[in-house]
Amino acid sequence: MATLTISDKERFLINQEGQDFSHEAKTFIKIRELALKNLKDLDFPTNKLEDWKYTNLRGISKIEFRPQSAINIIAAKVKAHKIPNLDAYTLVFVNGFFSAEFSDTAEEKDGNFVVTNLNTAKKKFIKFVEPYLGFQTRAKDQFFVNLNAAFSQDGAFVYVKAHQKLDKPVHIINLVDGDLVAAYPRNLIIADKLAEAQVVVSYETIDTASALSNVINEVFVAEGAHVQMDKIQNENGNTYHIGADYAVQHKDSTFTINTIPANGKLIRNNLSILLDGTGCTANLNGAICLNGDIHVDNQTYVDHAQPNCDSNELYKAVVNDQAASIFNGKIYVNKIAQQTNAFQSNANILMSDDAKANSKPQLEIYADDVKCSHGCTIGQFDDEALFYLRTRGIKESTAKKVLLEAFIGEVLDNIKIEAVRDYASALIAKNFNSKN
Amino acid sequence: MLKINGLKAEINGKEILKGLNLEVKPGEVHAIMGPNGSGKSTLASVLAGREEYEVTGGDVDFEGEDLLDLSPEQRAGEGLFLAFQYPVEIPGVSNINFIKTAVNEVREYRGLPNLETKEFMKLLKEKQQLVELSGKLANRSVNEGFSGGEKKRNEIFQMAMLNPKLGILDETDSGLDIDALRIVANGVNELKTKDNAFVVVTHYQRLLDYIVPDFVHVLYDGRIVKTGTKELALELEEKGYDWIIDEFKETV
Ligand SMILES: Nc1ncnc2c1ncn2[C@@H]1O[C@H](COP(=O)(O)OP(=O)(O)OP(=O)(O)O)[C@@H](O)[C@H]1O
Ligand SMILES: [Mg+2]
Repeated sequence: MATLTISDKERFLINQEGQDFSHEAKTFIKIRELALKNLKDLDFPTNKLEDWKYTNLRGISKIEFRPQSAINIIAAKVKAHKIPNLDAYTLVFVNGFFSAEFSDTAEEKDGNFVVTNLNTAKKKFIKFVEPYLGFQTRAKDQFFVNLNAAFSQDGAFVYVKAHQKLDKPVHIINLVDGDLVAAYPRNLIIADKLAEAQVVVSYETIDTASALSNVINEVFVAEGAHVQMDKIQNENGNTYHIGADYAVQHKDSTFTINTIPANGKLIRNNLSILLDGTGCTANLNGAICLNGDIHVDNQTYVDHAQPNCDSNELYKAVVNDQAASIFNGKIYVNKIAQQTNAFQSNANILMSDDAKANSKPQLEIYADDVKCSHGCTIGQFDDEALFYLRTRGIKESTAKKVLLEAFIGEVLDNIKIEAVRDYASALIAKNFNSKN
Repeated sequence: MLKINGLKAEINGKEILKGLNLEVKPGEVHAIMGPNGSGKSTLASVLAGREEYEVTGGDVDFEGEDLLDLSPEQRAGEGLFLAFQYPVEIPGVSNINFIKTAVNEVREYRGLPNLETKEFMKLLKEKQQLVELSGKLANRSVNEGFSGGEKKRNEIFQMAMLNPKLGILDETDSGLDIDALRIVANGVNELKTKDNAFVVVTHYQRLLDYIVPDFVHVLYDGRIVKTGTKELALELEEKGYDWIIDEFKETV
């Protein structure tokens, strides 16, 4: 009898099968087929790859994660993950599947915008979806990007028509409920010419002993459009979160993404911004405050493909206990991208002896009239400032909080929606203290 | 009010205070002078509770409490205030929020309720005027980008807000122009009552024209080696420290 040996990856991929996508339009099935084909030649990234030097995901390949729709979702458990005082179009996804009963959509064909789930949009608004979906994620070499492209269950679809703006933000809530869940939510956000959109994406947990959230956000910012995205990662300590955010910007557009990785087991974020028109501004901010043994790895890539664009990156981390924060920021300036302004700053405060921070700026500049600056610092808590505050009668715990809030506050100030800023601040403040 | 007895302290294994005695009573002003590196700021830091210093001998009684047993914030609550020689810049923390937090935490320590916003603003205005501190500085980050003089006035402003029993001023006069010096000195004189006391560390007689001390001490090599009245300061200005050091060496 012949024995058949299969690799961990192959077994993992077999576990992801069994979802029926045959009802989808051919154009979308093609995306999945291409991704499956790419996956044949790919494997889980290991430390041997330069971009994965500090984050090893081999362990995931042995876990029996599977797509699973949640049964019996309890309303109260979903509502607990709303952001207090946030007036928004709320779209709820559980384990990657759309949960219509907890969502409010805007689908009028002649409306100024569309807010719905991607599967609905693939049918009802195919002409809006087709030119964009998967356009930025054709990376042949990215295992998890292809994994999501192949198996994504659903996601949010936001389309703002030219010259229009969303009358309120969209809040996309992604929840996981159940053990060994593999969730592949995938959002597509399009702001047409001179349009405006604010999107909040949060990732949280109802309950799981082990889960994989493999997510993609794909954003298109047309000429003169403004998109702001706040990404809050607050899953439980049993969850691996591997995310990729893509944005392509056209002439004179602005895109801002604020990333707040607060809780989870392991979080990896890959941000890729393509500045594909002149006069663009991209803002990438990260407010990172970690305790326990969470491992967070933020990778950013800003491609200055056209002249006269600005990119501003500010990532700040407070790392407690045995937690680790990794930052790798790449800036690529094309030889035609004259008058580029690219700023990058990464500051880290280590709160304990076991806390770790790694920071690596990478600049590749082929134009000559360019202003680029980067700076990274890894330091301890400022004991001088702490002592100063305490001599004024401020308790040590209060003084620490005041100083850390001031440090992280510079990043959080970029969150323009007050309710979201308050929510993020509260998550962060919880992590100021040791979990040990 | 304050009784320091044989105080010894070291940092990184180096002994800086070598058996220092000092007594301060309510209503008094003491000046401490002495050459660079003699331990004046060290004394101030140890009294304020800086943890880098290890106290290896002696004791300090403050209003009947064992001062060295208290945390820096408890000492502030008990009524000790240190105006730093080098005030710390704290980016991102607004001066007004900082002082509001401080006032309310000290009040809490003293068993008093938080100040109502209106009362706080009134106090704030009054004390800003006292040291002629521009209201604009209130919204800036604590000491960040403040000029040398502004930083020192901010220290006195904080002292006025917290209304301590004992104020220790570590070279608050250094780097001040004549107007700022007068303002700072006026601030202290306004705060002075028969129930509180001040210890003023300085290198210059100039300040003591405005804040008239009851006693002048010379700190040298971690000890108070001479104590006199305000005339001693004049003498020091004229003759320097050598004669005192010689005198001291003879007695040892
Ligand atoms: N961290 C440290 N490690 C070793 N020595 C130190 C440390 N901090 C201070 N010292 C030393 O302690 C001594 C006393 O310093 P201190 O600042 O108290 O002097 P000072 O009298 O205030 O001087 P100045 O008039 O210049 O302000 C100096 O010799 C100084 O070098
Ligand atoms: Mg000094």
